[in-house]
Amino acid sequence: MREVPAPFDGLAYDGHLVWDRFTRVFHWGLVACVSTALVSGFLLDASWIRLHLVSGSLAIALVTARTVWGFTGPTYARFSQFLPSYRQAISHLRAGAAHARHIGHNPLAALMVFVLLTLIVGLGLTGVASLGSGLKSGPMAASLPASQGHIWSKIHELAAFALLSFIALHIGGVVLESRRSRENLARSMINGRKEMRAGDLTAPPRPAQRALAALFISGLVIIATGAINRMSQSPLPLPPVGSMALVYSDECAACHMAYHPSLRPAASWQLMMDKLDSHFGEDATLPKETGDEITVWLVKHSAETVDSKPATLWTGLQETLPVALPNTDIWQRLHGSLADGTFTRRTIHSRSNCFACHRDAESGWFSPFQISVPKEPKQ
Amino acid sequence: MKPVLVLSAILLSQPVLAQDTSPQALVDQYSAEAGAAPSPKNGRALFTANHASGKPHTPSCVTCHSADPTKGGQARTGKPIDPLVPRVNSERFTDMKFVEKWFGRNCNSVLGRDCSAQEKADIISWFMSL
Repeated sequence: MREVPAPFDGLAYDGHLVWDRFTRVFHWGLVACVSTALVSGFLLDASWIRLHLVSGSLAIALVTARTVWGFTGPTYARFSQFLPSYRQAISHLRAGAAHARHIGHNPLAALMVFVLLTLIVGLGLTGVASLGSGLKSGPMAASLPASQGHIWSKIHELAAFALLSFIALHIGGVVLESRRSRENLARSMINGRKEMRAGDLTAPPRPAQRALAALFISGLVIIATGAINRMSQSPLPLPPVGSMALVYSDECAACHMAYHPSLRPAASWQLMMDKLDSHFGEDATLPKETGDEITVWLVKHSAETVDSKPATLWTGLQETLPVALPNTDIWQRLHGSLADGTFTRRTIHSRSNCFACHRDAESGWFSPFQISVPKEPKQ
Repeated sequence: MKPVLVLSAILLSQPVLAQDTSPQALVDQYSAEAGAAPSPKNGRALFTANHASGKPHTPSCVTCHSADPTKGGQARTGKPIDPLVPRVNSERFTDMKFVEKWFGRNCNSVLGRDCSAQEKADIISWFMSL
């Protein structure tokens, strides 16, 4: 029986419906999410983190739904239909260009499906681990230390490079097989149809269990939302001290923003307070008892005592004279994407004026969610 | 939050100034120490001149305070500095420790030495004339 094609099906021809509507929406939705996540992750700066998280999360949601559909969907959506045995995979490869035409996924294509789905899940997990450790947000924030942030984001990045390579192979495979079989397979993923030919390898039809799929997916949504919310609200171990000592904000923040004590190790604060007579080009001398009071407070809340990304970055700061953090390699690497002129804007004024762009600078967190670089005001 | 708590939070967030002196009392005290009448004209010259003897980033008072002391200035870090003229900013020159701390630091940064009592009297008397 010929189904009436939907209006968007474009060139209607008498094909066999292979890819159901969910599978097609899933495929192109995943293309959109993964492309957005790759572009925002590789090419855009840290202030785009929200877009990266939203697109990445949507990709994981799509893959999760697709996994449920892999057990409940119609014939060619089912994992059991296309999961090849070792023998099938080998004989498919041996046949080379002469292999039989599969109306669903051929064994090599099926392996690609599983590799891509697994890689995307892996990217989701390592992404959540990077977010939790390095950025102290999300469900893993309380359980992973900030010192692991670098390694998780490296693994996340490597997985993204692997995904890029497999996407290239996937596209290459689609082009090759389209040529070999003289059928536009990308168009099949749009209208869902493939030409039925003699000798095609087909599978016995299986109905989709829509109700079961909907039940599973909504159950997973509820459980995941609950678990993520609950885990994200766990108290963080060793957070930066929440309020500034009055003497510190009165004395030090008279001239500059109140730099959080967790940005420098104790030895660095000690050195800074010993050299106040020559404090970054100015005399900032304090009466001894005031200076001592501030030093005690700074040392008590210094980088060594805090689990946050900025604290981790500068715990190992080595100085003989106090160094301004903007003159460190770490700072310059982190701000490398900004044009030089950015910092001389009247709204920012200097590289040491962190909170012109980092709204949470005085909390010590420096979350990428809190970055907004001000524009030069109109004259 | 109760209004009382809000009010006390606002009060606590302001630097507590001792209010133990006034601009006139300071001028009187510094001129007595110097043994000469204050000169607003000399105060203005000292404040606006470029000095070579201090730290390289702060050749003059106006580097940070701006050339018009009735207006605010901006520290090298970008932090705004309140106006110095008492008519505009009534908190100025009302706390002896505060005044001495900043004359101490800033004269050393700009001039490379302490300011004399005469110079302090001159500068404050110039601000009072504005």
